[in-house]
Amino acid sequence: MAATRTASRACEIFTTLEYGPAPESHACALAWLDTQDRHLGHYVNGQWLKPEHRSSVPCQDPITGENLASCLQAQSEDVAAAVEAARASLENWSTQPGAIRAQHLTRLAKVIQKHQRLLWTLESLVTGRAVREVRDRDVPLAQQLLQYHAVQAHTQEEALAGWEPMGVGSLDSSVLNYLLPPGCTVVVLVPPASPTPLLLAQLAGELGPFPGILNVISGPASLGPVLAAQPGVQKVAFCGAIEEGRALRRTLAGWVPELGLALGAESLLLLTEVADVDSAVEGIVDAAWSDRSPGGLRLLIQEAVWDETMRRLQERMGRLRCGHGLDGAVDMGARGAAARDLAQRYVSEAQSQGAQVFQAGSEPSDSPFFPPTLVSDLPPASPCTQAEVPWPLVVASPFRTAKEALAVANGTPRGGSASVWSERLGQALELAYGLQVGTVWINAHGLRDPAVPMGGCKESGSSWHGGQDVSNHLPAWGEGGFWAGAALTHPHPSSSCSPAPPYGLFVGGRFQAPGARSSRPIRDSQGSLQGYVAEGGAKDIRGAVEAAHQAAPGWMSQSPAARAALLWALAAALQRREPNLVSRLERHGVELKVAKAEVELSVKRLRAWGARVQAQGCALQVAELRGPVLRLREPLGVLAIVCPDEWPLLAFVSLLAPALAHGNTVVLVPSGACPIPALEVCQPVDMLTMPLCLSPHQGSQFVEWASAGNLKPVWVNRGCPRAWDQEAEGAGPELGRRAARTKALWLPMGD
Amino acid sequence: ESISKQATEIWISKIQVNKPAVLRRAEQIQARRPVKKEWQAAWLLKAVTCIDLTTLSGDDTASNIQRLCYKAKYPIREDLLKALNMHDKGITTAAVCVYPARVCDAVRALKAAGCDIPVASVATGFPAAQTHLKTRLEEIRLAVEDGATEIDVVINRTLVLTGQWKALYDEIRQFRKACGEAHLKTILATGELGSLTNVYKASMIAMMAGSDFIKTSTGKETVNATFPVAIVMLRAIRDFFWKTGNKVGFKPAGGIRSAKDSLVWLSLIKEELGDEWMKPELFRIGASTLLADIERQIYHHVTGRYAAYHDLPMS
Repeated sequence: MAATRTASRACEIFTTLEYGPAPESHACALAWLDTQDRHLGHYVNGQWLKPEHRSSVPCQDPITGENLASCLQAQSEDVAAAVEAARASLENWSTQPGAIRAQHLTRLAKVIQKHQRLLWTLESLVTGRAVREVRDRDVPLAQQLLQYHAVQAHTQEEALAGWEPMGVGSLDSSVLNYLLPPGCTVVVLVPPASPTPLLLAQLAGELGPFPGILNVISGPASLGPVLAAQPGVQKVAFCGAIEEGRALRRTLAGWVPELGLALGAESLLLLTEVADVDSAVEGIVDAAWSDRSPGGLRLLIQEAVWDETMRRLQERMGRLRCGHGLDGAVDMGARGAAARDLAQRYVSEAQSQGAQVFQAGSEPSDSPFFPPTLVSDLPPASPCTQAEVPWPLVVASPFRTAKEALAVANGTPRGGSASVWSERLGQALELAYGLQVGTVWINAHGLRDPAVPMGGCKESGSSWHGGQDVSNHLPAWGEGGFWAGAALTHPHPSSSCSPAPPYGLFVGGRFQAPGARSSRPIRDSQGSLQGYVAEGGAKDIRGAVEAAHQAAPGWMSQSPAARAALLWALAAALQRREPNLVSRLERHGVELKVAKAEVELSVKRLRAWGARVQAQGCALQVAELRGPVLRLREPLGVLAIVCPDEWPLLAFVSLLAPALAHGNTVVLVPSGACPIPALEVCQPVDMLTMPLCLSPHQGSQFVEWASAGNLKPVWVNRGCPRAWDQEAEGAGPELGRRAARTKALWLPMGD
Repeated sequence: ESISKQATEIWISKIQVNKPAVLRRAEQIQARRPVKKEWQAAWLLKAVTCIDLTTLSGDDTASNIQRLCYKAKYPIREDLLKALNMHDKGITTAAVCVYPARVCDAVRALKAAGCDIPVASVATGFPAAQTHLKTRLEEIRLAVEDGATEIDVVINRTLVLTGQWKALYDEIRQFRKACGEAHLKTILATGELGSLTNVYKASMIAMMAGSDFIKTSTGKETVNATFPVAIVMLRAIRDFFWKTGNKVGFKPAGGIRSAKDSLVWLSLIKEELGDEWMKPELFRIGASTLLADIERQIYHHVTGRYAAYHDLPMS
């Protein structure tokens, strides 16, 4: 009987030529869940932690709604236990030589390879994503990342010699790869009902000697601050929605841990009239409708090819297949009710604002699937255009010229990734350099490699990871970053007179009177009056920032040689004024010998950064790509720097030099207690690009809290003085890293 | 007829093909549409009906041509077809493809077998096309006289590599005329065209000049039917259809040996052009050993066992 049925089907398919199901068995995933009695807890210190009296949430198949397991929700005690485990194993793990850590991570990569089927079926089963993406991309990438960073752990032993390993709290599993190699241990907080990180932790735990280095607890995002507040947590990395990241930034302002944010999921595709349109359409499919990216796509199309692109795109959309994620022939799975509702809300709102919506195929409203959707004609000023595009939507809008494309593309607060489609090399490169995003692919979209750093700028967060910069765990910063020293010491009152120091605010290359027309006395260590400095106010700061912005394009486009020349000229000027500066410092209570050393070191710093200007970026070679990936270092724009009170001259120079060297313009507030040496430095050089003004100090906490508004990256000293006279702290690579932002530029080649 | 020189220039001048992106697409297509079980069996039978069963060897004689023709008529063992309930669907290969000198043998053998499978003949100085135009045209006429109803011509690569698109157009027009009623399949020899952009341009010119099919390669170049090249040609076919409303067929040839490959080719057609192209009138596979592997796979589907080579009749 069975044979007949088969036969009749074959006959029918011969005429219809339809696709059949190609299901991937999920038996192994269910079997693993069964080993836990379908009841998942947390994985801490190499064993399962299933405390009693906790609420649990069901883990469901997003397509069938079938209950797969129940997952315990963590409470603060569980978080504390996990952090305790991570701290306990930190000592052992971080004191291991790099080679041992590398070996362990390689073994972990091997374990992933051995269990890849289990990993991909489980992930696809619970997330509903198309298994092919998980199988062919995510799992191999996870393995490659571990392998890559194992090598880093091995080779960067020396480079990291001075680093304190960090006990770590993270809110997303994808970051852990970058943290283990340099000797950190990790606590991962995953959203409820996501078993794959737990499985990964179990596999890592079963490896033996270092069970506590990776701990996974599942719980609501509200536990984030609880985790961050645990003693010993040095760094928090968060991947998720922009608003959640903002809230976390506010909550953690002024706290010990470093916060790295990787926010939002929207991507951008820029299609010019000289592109291979058919290939670009495939790029759009890769970006939005292949279950690769978690978010939607903003699509900018040059007007000349708008009609052609729309026709091809709609035709292509008709061939996309939605279905059960575990089906190997499916392009898009389902992502649960929340994602579907979000997409539906966006579509309805866009329609009500006059947008055209094209959907390939229609799904009934109770279906778990959401069809690929193309939104066009959305007026640029409508509220929808401002919002982040959700999965699986593509929002298309036209542009006229490349220049306009850049303006539109950069006119959003998001700065994650983008691709440029153009066959004209000059145009493609100009667009790629001009886009304010972390990653740009030329004529491709969504390529990844462990050797290429990933990150963003603007509201997409400033957390960079991957690539050679292991030390990238420290957040770099984005445009308009803010360095602040927070120690606030009030000048002692007293009186006496001396040769008049330079007076005024140095803005746009010259001294000018402060807006408030008021002055502040500066006294030396005995309390006698050294002189008066101009007291800057909010209005002066505004003026200074404006001047800095005006100067920015010019300074940015200066050749490295010109930048170096300026820093060297500054050094020479400093040297000429050495006696003067030494006496100023002396009067501030610094010993003669130390004062001399400070000035000498300041001169050296300026020269050193001048020399380092040349070393910008590099080209990487990655597997499976013919052509280079350029790792660019771009200036952040205008930096606000508030100098600390320690080492009044040296700190000032050490902060100023890297900022200028990397092409930034600067608004700088010198030490409140001893600003005069800084003003002396300004005086001799006619420097349009270094506006300077004075303002009251701000506390570290306030700076961090305020940065949540537009998520500008900030770097504060939290009131702890830095050893500016030490090479590592005063001129180390960290300063250079923070003075510029990275961009990865993928350049596939071939004709 | 009405397509002027100007059109020749306009339709091909603005074209952009990005090779790395096409290569990525080619890689993806092979992993994105697995076809299993009954679907696989049905699709494989469809592939059989699209095969131009080919022998193009110096040692071809009447006897192996006759064997080939019988295999074309009975490509799959009768009992296997019965098990699939497909025995009365007239499953044969799409055509038999031979050298011009063997056309008579093929026509005779097929007549003896009592079937109307068309005979295709390669022509125009196959495979290099480095002979005089006059003899190339004469070759076509003679093959048609001998009874070939499909002519696979090779284009003059010199004209492509030197950018003489109008001259190429004129040559293919002459081939078209020489074919008369016979179908014209134009072999682009893509392995020798230098770039994917040239592949697109040559495809477009061949279609504009009136080809019924465009074909990837002769099977004699070092690089033959590859997926990236196919993607470019299929996109050209779609563009031509959108511009003129004419459906032109596609024939990959050379190096297609496994049943799995033939499934990928079918799904590639389905994805890029749609179901209406998945039939012998618009899709052919030029192959000789492919059929044996497909038959083995069908044997496995029906019986659950793999066939030894002696279990299945040879061609």
